[in-house]
Amino acid sequence: MEHIAGRKSGLSWAVHFSALALVIVWVLPTLGLLVSSFRTTDQIRSSGWWAALFPAVQNETYRTADPDEARVDLGDGLYLVSGNIFVEGGVAANLDEIVREITVWGASSRAIDAYQPDEVADLGEGETLTVTARGDYEWRGTADQIEGRGARIFVTVSAPPDFTLGNYQNVLFDPSNREGMSKAFFNTLTVTIPATIIPILIAAFAAYALAWMEFPGRALLIAAVVGLLVVPLQLALIPLLKLHNDIGIGKGYLGVWLAHTGFGLPLAIYLLRNYMVGLPREVIENARVDGATEFQIFTRIILPLSFPALASFAIFQFLWTWNDLLVAMVFLIDSSGETTVMTRQLVEMMGTRGGDWEILATSAFVSIAVPLVVFFSLQRYLVRGLLAGSVK
Amino acid sequence: MKRSFYASAAALALSSGMAMADAHGGLVFPVGEGDFNWASYEAFAAAHDLTGQTVTISGPWLSPEADRFDALLAYFEAATGADATYTGSDSFEQQIVIDAEAGSAPNIAVFPQPGLAANMAANGLLTPLGADNAAWVSENFAAGPSWVDLGTYADQSGADQFYGFFFNVNVKSLVWYVPENFEDAGYEVPTTMEELIALSDQIVADGGTPWCIGLGSGAATGWPATDWVEDLMLRTQTPDVYDAWVANEIPFNDPRVVEAIETFGQFARNDAYVMGGAGAVATTDFRDSPAGLFQSPPGCYMHRQASFIPAFFPDGTVVGEDADFFYFPAFAEKDLGSPVLGGGTLMAITDPSDATMAFVEFLKTPVAHEIMMAQGGFLTPHSGVNLATYETDTLRGQGEILLNATTFRFDGSDLMPGAIGAGSFWTGMVDYAGGADAAAVADTIQQSWDAIK
Amino acid sequence: MSPIMQAALTILIGVGGCVGYFYLSNQILDRVLFPARGANAGRNINRANAIRPWLFLFPALFALALYLTYPVFETLRLSLTDRSLGGAFVGLENYARMTDDPKFWEALRNNFLWLLIVPAASTAFGLLAAQLTDRISWGNIAKSLIFMPMAISFVGAAVIFKLVYDARPEDVAQIGILNAVYLQLGGDSPITWLTVPFWNNIFLIIVLIWIQTGFAMVILSAALRGIPEETIEAAIVDGANPFQIFFKIKVPQIAGTIVVVWTTITIVVLKVFDIVFAMTNGQWETQVLANYMYDKLFRANDWGVGSAAAMVIMILVLPILVWNVYNARREMR
Repeated sequence: MEHIAGRKSGLSWAVHFSALALVIVWVLPTLGLLVSSFRTTDQIRSSGWWAALFPAVQNETYRTADPDEARVDLGDGLYLVSGNIFVEGGVAANLDEIVREITVWGASSRAIDAYQPDEVADLGEGETLTVTARGDYEWRGTADQIEGRGARIFVTVSAPPDFTLGNYQNVLFDPSNREGMSKAFFNTLTVTIPATIIPILIAAFAAYALAWMEFPGRALLIAAVVGLLVVPLQLALIPLLKLHNDIGIGKGYLGVWLAHTGFGLPLAIYLLRNYMVGLPREVIENARVDGATEFQIFTRIILPLSFPALASFAIFQFLWTWNDLLVAMVFLIDSSGETTVMTRQLVEMMGTRGGDWEILATSAFVSIAVPLVVFFSLQRYLVRGLLAGSVK
Repeated sequence: MKRSFYASAAALALSSGMAMADAHGGLVFPVGEGDFNWASYEAFAAAHDLTGQTVTISGPWLSPEADRFDALLAYFEAATGADATYTGSDSFEQQIVIDAEAGSAPNIAVFPQPGLAANMAANGLLTPLGADNAAWVSENFAAGPSWVDLGTYADQSGADQFYGFFFNVNVKSLVWYVPENFEDAGYEVPTTMEELIALSDQIVADGGTPWCIGLGSGAATGWPATDWVEDLMLRTQTPDVYDAWVANEIPFNDPRVVEAIETFGQFARNDAYVMGGAGAVATTDFRDSPAGLFQSPPGCYMHRQASFIPAFFPDGTVVGEDADFFYFPAFAEKDLGSPVLGGGTLMAITDPSDATMAFVEFLKTPVAHEIMMAQGGFLTPHSGVNLATYETDTLRGQGEILLNATTFRFDGSDLMPGAIGAGSFWTGMVDYAGGADAAAVADTIQQSWDAIK
Repeated sequence: MSPIMQAALTILIGVGGCVGYFYLSNQILDRVLFPARGANAGRNINRANAIRPWLFLFPALFALALYLTYPVFETLRLSLTDRSLGGAFVGLENYARMTDDPKFWEALRNNFLWLLIVPAASTAFGLLAAQLTDRISWGNIAKSLIFMPMAISFVGAAVIFKLVYDARPEDVAQIGILNAVYLQLGGDSPITWLTVPFWNNIFLIIVLIWIQTGFAMVILSAALRGIPEETIEAAIVDGANPFQIFFKIKVPQIAGTIVVVWTTITIVVLKVFDIVFAMTNGQWETQVLANYMYDKLFRANDWGVGSAAAMVIMILVLPILVWNVYNARREMR
């Protein structure tokens, strides 16, 4: 298309623009989650993540200090309670650290925007209340009016953007957080690493046999592997769970490692065989002529040369087992709570903390962080693996 | 109904100034202080030494009820030297079945539903507690024989055995509200159902939204609606009709049941009545739904839910002052008295051991109940406890409702078999909340009853 | 034993065991059974070489037979028995009960909807993305970003889109992008997207399209680059415009690859469990077969009907299986 004279710049801008639009649509959902994980609860509740950089308008409810403790006798039977709702409400450490600004306020839940800052509200029979934009309040009245619990003050505030690392701290490091991800993180790692390493070795030997050894039935076996690639693992759940129960493994790490190995073997054999078939025949023939045993050929020549394919499969299997939910739920997770994996924690949280986006978003990001790192750093191998045998 | 086990709600740590003990840490209430029955504790500790043994307990409680139960376990550990752990799951009902079959069941399972426990007993997955324990419950629980009946199921050979020890019960016929919001608006607490409906209409006319209803609960989504329907059944029909309904002696699609479902629909399928509209009912998690009560301006004014819901009120909410409850009223014109719906969680042994039996003994001591009562959100029919240990007057009030109702009935869906009570009844109600026809939904549920007969 | 120790030990035993097995078995074969010396040296070598492939293949074959082949037959058998009767053979009763269940037909209908839309949309978007990104200087970055969702778990994607589809009551600020845009464009009140009958399926489908487009893009991009330049240049010289080139020349050339991408995505669609499980759990008429099977198996504890559902998934997958095997054998000739 570059050769089309005169149409270049117009078409080229259209292409850039369309590509940009596509990329933006694809990245937007994940970006939303990432931004939300750094915001505080109040902010998430009051504005969408796209407005994270703008001040958020929030409706809040505060209470004046307890009159029984804080009221001041002004004489003539009048009493005063005064203070600052933000400092007393715990959202600011002292008057200098107030970042909120009140835009309107009210004294009743029925009319939360009845008054402007500094306006004096007449609550009837001489009782008055006034609130400044900074949150300082004065509540005056007789002894009967200024008693009991503090008066409620409803404010609409404009709060500047407030980003925090607290969510990550809570999710990852807080030991009293029952839904914390740190244990799940280590469990997921424990499930993934053996489940990635063990199939590689088994598959490599089999792939070599299918690629470079002549024997009757080879074509049939290759076809069988291709067929097994397609078998959905749903079919294997009940029989294998029964099998594991019968031979005494029950639910646990050993079971899930074996299961992942079994389910990952077809892909491993397929990928590795396709790659090994492409290795130069002469190298192998020469080695045979030189008297090397098959085992030596395999370990000294084939394995090193097959490294790209091994890496591809390793990444595939790593991502697949890290992101897996169903196999873990069936073969691993029991009621002790010690064996949960991150995907499981996330699903539980979607139910129990579904409204708490700061926790949900942060946990989700913790769970996808490692795969993303693996993905971005080892993309090459992943792509190569995908292409093996797919391009015709 | 379902969340009977959540019955450990109420005032939060902040308001009562209480420090939360972690699972293996210090004891929440120092031994020897307060109104607790420490004598029973000392006697238990002296009689049991289980150093080195473990007890695993699994149940549906998540934070914060789970933290309160952990605080109780700390006492058991201190008394016996054993190691006790509790793990909770939102999909406990599924998990426990899988685990029991796989042989990796915990020592004790906390069942939110007798129906599910009965299923497992019939499959031989539970260990009986024995006739002695049954006799103890009969004598020491208020309305003891009823609690024994609720915990008795047929074993694999068809013989009835006592399996379930009820620990943590709750009252469900409550409506929660914010008294100050009612004051601001000039509303009165209704004492009859007709007044309640009139109040709802009044709130709509004033521009507000009367109700917050949320059915979401992970794999158990739909159970709050079953509580509504059961409460309404008790208010529109006599108790024996309710009993027949629960046992499927009258079919689920009986017109009287459909009428109760449609009465629920009057509340939940009315866009003007519910915060977020009828469409939000099934998608809002039940733990998030009370939040509307405390919003500014109020998102809703009333929330019908069991006594454990204060655990999910915002931090710092003082039950009795910031939020309070009134009895979900009955129809004045139907003259059916003041029926109360309640539920409870029962503990059953899924993997016996000496330490496990000792834990059951611990649960029989008054102090075990009192420690939970004092943390809030826990009610008990144990007649030997000191009522003064109830954390708040509110709880004491609920306890009294429990004991004084003219008609008390256990949550119906908890009594139904698991496939119905933890299956089609839940999903049917979600479908109904989403717009399905009440009669059609009832037909589907009746079909699942027929399928298991 | 702590899981980490267990893991380390398993890796050690697994790897060591494998290596040991292969080494020892080869040694035994070559030294003990069929030594390459003496009178029968030649024959021995031939025999050893005939047996050796099976030594190499044995662990893999054992694992495949046990973990993938046996379960297929066992599931078939389970679908014909009734667990509550002690495993008695009941013929097609499970299938009959399954076909009586309206939820099953709903799941089947939904699966067909997924099958119709996801592969087509992913391939189309993938093709579009491949074509666009191949031509720009920052194409690699663009490709990475579009491909990135493949690395995210289905559950993670479910959380991401739950935020996108979030609905808040009318008078408060919306935090879900879809509702915010909808209200901005003139909608009356926020919609709970996942409860709208029929359209909620589409919203779930979008999640899978979002994930799988990157996969399609990568493969189709490589295929596009494999088209010989001369073909395209000849077409340009003949006066074809870009659209004609694309549809009449490029697409036919990569038809084979398109089929591969289509069938691979189809298999993924039939297995999709996590997305529906996490976002709606089959409620509001979004049930799909994989979730239905899990529900029957572990919630209703009905192994008979659960296995029957699994067999239905297998039957749906069978055409692709046959096609793939047929192609594989054709290639080997």
